[in-house]
Amino acid sequence: MTARLTPLVLSVVTIAAWGLVLGVSSGRAELVVAVLPLLLGLLRIGRTGAAANGWTLARALSAPRVFEGERVTVTVTVSAEQPVMLLELFEPLPPTLRLASGHNRGLFRLRAGESVEWRYEVECVRRGRVNLGTVHARLWDRAGLEAAETSTGLPGQLRVYPRPLPLRRLPAPRRMQAFVGNYVAPSLGEGIEPGEIRAFVPGDRVRHVNWRASLRFRQLFVTQHHQERNADVVLMLDTLTEAGEAPDTTLDASVRAAAALATGYLARKDRVGLIEYCGPFRWVRPGSGRAHQERLFETLLRADVMFSYVTQEVALVPRRVLPPQALVIAISPLIDPRFEKALLDLAARGFDLVVLSPSPIPLVRRATRPSARADLACRLWALERRARADALQRLGITLVDWDPAEPLEAALGGASPARRRRVAR
Amino acid sequence: MRRAAAILSVVLVGAPIAITPSTAVAGLGAAALVSCGLGILIAPPLLVGGIVLALGEYTLALSLAGGPPRLAGAVLVGVVLVLLLETADFGRRAHRATIGPRLMAAQMRAWAAAAALTGIGALAASAGASVASATVRLPWAPAIAAIGVAITLVTVALALSARRLPRA
Repeated sequence: MTARLTPLVLSVVTIAAWGLVLGVSSGRAELVVAVLPLLLGLLRIGRTGAAANGWTLARALSAPRVFEGERVTVTVTVSAEQPVMLLELFEPLPPTLRLASGHNRGLFRLRAGESVEWRYEVECVRRGRVNLGTVHARLWDRAGLEAAETSTGLPGQLRVYPRPLPLRRLPAPRRMQAFVGNYVAPSLGEGIEPGEIRAFVPGDRVRHVNWRASLRFRQLFVTQHHQERNADVVLMLDTLTEAGEAPDTTLDASVRAAAALATGYLARKDRVGLIEYCGPFRWVRPGSGRAHQERLFETLLRADVMFSYVTQEVALVPRRVLPPQALVIAISPLIDPRFEKALLDLAARGFDLVVLSPSPIPLVRRATRPSARADLACRLWALERRARADALQRLGITLVDWDPAEPLEAALGGASPARRRRVAR
Repeated sequence: MRRAAAILSVVLVGAPIAITPSTAVAGLGAAALVSCGLGILIAPPLLVGGIVLALGEYTLALSLAGGPPRLAGAVLVGVVLVLLLETADFGRRAHRATIGPRLMAAQMRAWAAAAALTGIGALAASAGASVASATVRLPWAPAIAAIGVAITLVTVALALSARRLPRA
């Protein structure tokens, strides 16, 4: 660490020179005397030890994993082996974090062997892997005439997961899988949901005998039951483009919705997969359980818009990633026509398809200055979106238009009756 | 700390008005005060500009007042200059920063010591110069003073450039 003179020295020299010039030109000795303390003050340079480096830093986070909107307390401990005159520390915050309380800059004076704790609180405004990383330190002399700078890398990994959206009702899948789950399957077998009644045959269990029907018809009848099965759900996330201002872009809303849907379906013992449609595909194979939820969330943390001219066909996705019986929930603001083409392809292949479209219009309106022209543009955009949504619905695709300012559950609930009728058919 | 700097700038601007309460001095003082205030709040170069104006105001007040040199007052103005520059600079650094324990007390002690030492040094130098000027009468005194100033400035600049003077 090399000590350097600060701009304050330049100010002192400028003022001293001006005072001396004024003194000589006016013939008044007072001005020469007035700048003498300034010149004498310069003699302190190099005497107060701005280049001392006998200090260490350690950082601790109150939680390594949080959700969007939660707060984390950052504690930096400064320990000194030698006396430190004036230590200025600065931790630049990444754009995904916002200072909630305290300051991310601190000034400290330490005696030999002393430790000082410095705390501040940050609010996690956007999902992602955040590295607090580097602490910039500047050692000053007491007068502020000399300073030495250095940077120290400290471990500080923070994972900010998408904000959980409350979701109790989910779009029901049309087709089931072979494993036990929470959906009542049309097939008969072991289960608790009663189905049809038929005559008793040898081998039937006595506890399945329907005594009321048997007494009426004076012949043994048994109640059959529907099986409870799980389903495969594949979330298809459009990361081709986004609209709005961070942390409230259409992609942020899509990721929050994907996280909520994944959590909901996994809680129902379904297998959930994820396809990130960003030109070249990125995917997570369908799976279930807590570990799989972690895997999905990690993938969602990385989800970001990646510009690409490459467009891949849905047909290229392997069957183990996109099983034919799966319910596909496509989450897209429907801005890029390439994604609409992929949706049409999926529908044509007979996939059970639901499109959840976070509307970009309110997000863009929030990010732009209100004006009559913007209002008109947004109205035209809304009409265009409605026309495209109608075209998709005419092809039998369930489309849920969602204003991200509104609860997701309300949007999905509005689409449920129509879908239930279609699933029943 | 910004409040302390503001009080010191009022003292600096007020001292010439106390010497010569005239409209010209007050006008220059008002401009200096505004510039100092902006410098304390926004940008250090404005503070330097304000002090430059305040020194001009001081010169004008002394020229209008005339009379014998007021060396004690000049030392006081010099000490205020030192404190104003250092407190304003520290205030800028301490703005929106967590201040560690005992830092402010240590800084106050450091400023008090700096004020005392530079003030005593300036008083001693001015007393020595007064005695010398009373005993030795030099011809061409203004020219010798100008040469002395030039030598002082060049010496300071050379000493500082050896330690890497910061860019403006």
